[in-house]
Amino acid sequence: MGRGQRYGIALSAFVAFAVGVVTALSLLLGDNPALFGEQPGSAQLAGLLALPADVLLRLATIVVALSIVIGIANLLTVHVGRLARGKAYSAVMLASFGFTVFWYVARQGDTSLLEAVQVPIESALAALLCLSLLHGGSRVLGKRADIWGLLFVAVVVLVLLGSLPLAELAPVQAWRDWLMRVPVGAGARALLLGIALGTVVTGVRALLGQDRSFRG
Amino acid sequence: MDEEFNWLKYSESIEASAQEEEAQSSRRGLRRFLPRLPGRPSLPSRPSLARLPRLRLPSLPRLSRRPASTSGQPSAAELLGGQQERPLDDLDDRLRALRGRSVVTTQPANQALYDVDDILTSPELQSKPGGVISAAALSKAQQQQVEMLRDIVGGPEQSQGTGGRRELPAFSLSAVPRLLGRALLVLVVCLPFVSSDYAEGELPPAEFHEDRPGPTAFYNLLDNISGDDTILVAFEYGPTAAGELDLLAELLLRHIFAQRARPLIVSSNPIAIVHAQNIIRGINRSLAGADAQLLHGEDYFLLRYLPGGALGLRELSQNFADVVRISAKGLPTGLEFEALDEMTEIVLIAESAEAVRNWVEQVLSAPGGRRLLVTTGYAAQPLAQAYADSMTSIVGPVTGIRDAFTYGEKLAKNFGALLPNAPIDPEAGPEVLPVNVVSDSQAELPRATEAQIEVAPATALPQPTATAPPTASPFMTATPPPTETPLPTDTPAPTATEATIRAVEVISEQSVNIRRGPTTVDEILGLGYQGDIFEVLGTNGDGSWYNILLPGGVRAWIAAFLVEERVVTASEFAGGQASASADAPPERAVLQLDFSLRLSKNRPRFYQAQPPTSGGGDRPELILSRDRGLEVPRLQAMTLGTLAAILVIVFGNTIYAARGLMRRRNSQGS
Repeated sequence: MGRGQRYGIALSAFVAFAVGVVTALSLLLGDNPALFGEQPGSAQLAGLLALPADVLLRLATIVVALSIVIGIANLLTVHVGRLARGKAYSAVMLASFGFTVFWYVARQGDTSLLEAVQVPIESALAALLCLSLLHGGSRVLGKRADIWGLLFVAVVVLVLLGSLPLAELAPVQAWRDWLMRVPVGAGARALLLGIALGTVVTGVRALLGQDRSFRG
Repeated sequence: MDEEFNWLKYSESIEASAQEEEAQSSRRGLRRFLPRLPGRPSLPSRPSLARLPRLRLPSLPRLSRRPASTSGQPSAAELLGGQQERPLDDLDDRLRALRGRSVVTTQPANQALYDVDDILTSPELQSKPGGVISAAALSKAQQQQVEMLRDIVGGPEQSQGTGGRRELPAFSLSAVPRLLGRALLVLVVCLPFVSSDYAEGELPPAEFHEDRPGPTAFYNLLDNISGDDTILVAFEYGPTAAGELDLLAELLLRHIFAQRARPLIVSSNPIAIVHAQNIIRGINRSLAGADAQLLHGEDYFLLRYLPGGALGLRELSQNFADVVRISAKGLPTGLEFEALDEMTEIVLIAESAEAVRNWVEQVLSAPGGRRLLVTTGYAAQPLAQAYADSMTSIVGPVTGIRDAFTYGEKLAKNFGALLPNAPIDPEAGPEVLPVNVVSDSQAELPRATEAQIEVAPATALPQPTATAPPTASPFMTATPPPTETPLPTDTPAPTATEATIRAVEVISEQSVNIRRGPTTVDEILGLGYQGDIFEVLGTNGDGSWYNILLPGGVRAWIAAFLVEERVVTASEFAGGQASASADAPPERAVLQLDFSLRLSKNRPRFYQAQPPTSGGGDRPELILSRDRGLEVPRLQAMTLGTLAAILVIVFGNTIYAARGLMRRRNSQGS
């Protein structure tokens, strides 16, 4: 690695660190006049401190929006290249793209293609997931014949039975409600805690330069 | 920090990790995390793969594993292998493994792994029951190694003669049960759409169950909006969840339109905005007259797409004035809102837990008395329910198709009475609740004014008219709540012309226990003092306990010999409670605090809304023009499909468990 490349790495790491610290401080201190007491001008100071985070985050939003346009352009480029190599599916994709644009423009904003094509296809794919889950659920004990596999199957059957709208299954429904409220609720809260901790750790790693995903 | 990638160190680290993994594999369970004792004798090594007999037999054609080079584009492993700017130690295990694959595949497959391919593909071993693994009698760790080797050595050879195209596996009898299970599921799901003879299961009730106050509060809040209100509706679901959430979204929009309020539709999913527009077009198609059509820019607004997920939602929360000025087509909307707090309500229709979390974190975390009405799909329901149980600013969740059906029934019932040709009952007053609906945490809600909180107990009392018995309230359902406590006997309807309620007054000089059930072993919810008056809901079977209603809408029980039954007017009831609170002994403040703590600890802090003050909005045609379509067959198909799924899961796992037991017995016998 040359010296210039090393300088480039150091510079990009410094820029990321500086932007991260400025944003974090701005979010922590900005728009919070109570931090500065009941003094004249504290509100203006708090507003001023909030400005860097506001500007930087809005810039990030614009970049994300622009990346969608770049993504579309990249998709078209890739499929044009694949079409040149004789890939038929790419031809279908490019034709569909062109037809959708033509339909929208020629029919003055008609978006019925979404309901006629996209929604049925994606809904059908989601329905296929049910079949896969069913297949997986039917062979749990074939893959894991232990107490945990048995417990998993029992819980799945209990929850499914409890969701049936049959009056004869009222006791099962009470068990199912308990399962959904207590263990599942606890799991949901644990997930929230885990996500929060993971977010903090990721942020700290990025600020410390250990996670440098910004270099692509 | 080591920026250069050192292949020598890399190979050493791979070897070290392999040794560590091997060492850990012999220490299973919690033993892996315990320190290794010094001088412990090592386990005898298992026969390695290299000691297997070398067989030179012709290979069989196998499933192809197309090499990355045939597609002309590098694989993910190759791309990762080319990355050098991150130290190897920073990579997690999965990325390191993926990178390791790129290292191995750059070498000729059979150079370092000579003879393995022949062993794995020999027809003798392949013809054994269970394949090569059972024939070689390998350990579990070795089986995994064999699978890995099978993946590695399968690459270059299988692309020969096939042009890189994957071959379809031959049909096997083992696929029959799988096909049968899928066929059964598809068949039973289709049955309700073919014939009404297969209508299994009960339809969802016409009212939300009283154990679920969230959906009822959700409905009441939307039913209390008026023509001056603006509702922010967040469409956070794509076409994948359309089958689950479209019905609910359409009902919510119809409800808002029927109240003559204006929805502002926004989303961080660009397709969802277009989909919302199509739903409104569907509503327009169901309306007969052209003058009743809903117009964009007047009756509703589609706001611009919010890019960046959580970042976009933060912008909506912080810079609402900018977001609301631009429509989905990039045109000015003409709306002049300064802040998100100017929205009367915020309704979220979300398919994923992540969308719910983003909205709660980015929108509700900002200062302001915001409230989020949440509807979700089944996948996001647990998380949304956890939020709703914890935060009074989250109302709901209304979940999936079954709740949508109930919501539609409530709408049809309440708005159907507003039709011009509907029979009008002149004595029927507005629907009221028999319970006190003011939440114990309403002080946290800025929109609930003090006047509303003060008035609520009086307005919540049962009306003395014969046409409005307590059982006619919208909170009452036909299904009794699943509680172990005996249900109170029916409360006699008030017959006096003056508004009176049946109440009990504490006569004991000592404090009395108020319990969760009508026994002395039930949990104590709080204490009552001499002179306290509680509304009576009923009694137990022998009349020894009164079922009473505590402030905050909590039902409790109090022993009959400690109180005296009275019939009081609403004003006396409210005054009695106020004077009792004012005359409370000094120690009572502590006890009341304890009481509130108990309540908040033992039950969710859900939000309870004021009941609707009118039967419906100004445009009932928007509700009643809805085509029910295949709503009922869909629900019945869900029921049958669930039954079929239970059957398949139970049957399949029984077969597998029996087969496993037979194998174990056979192995023990041999």
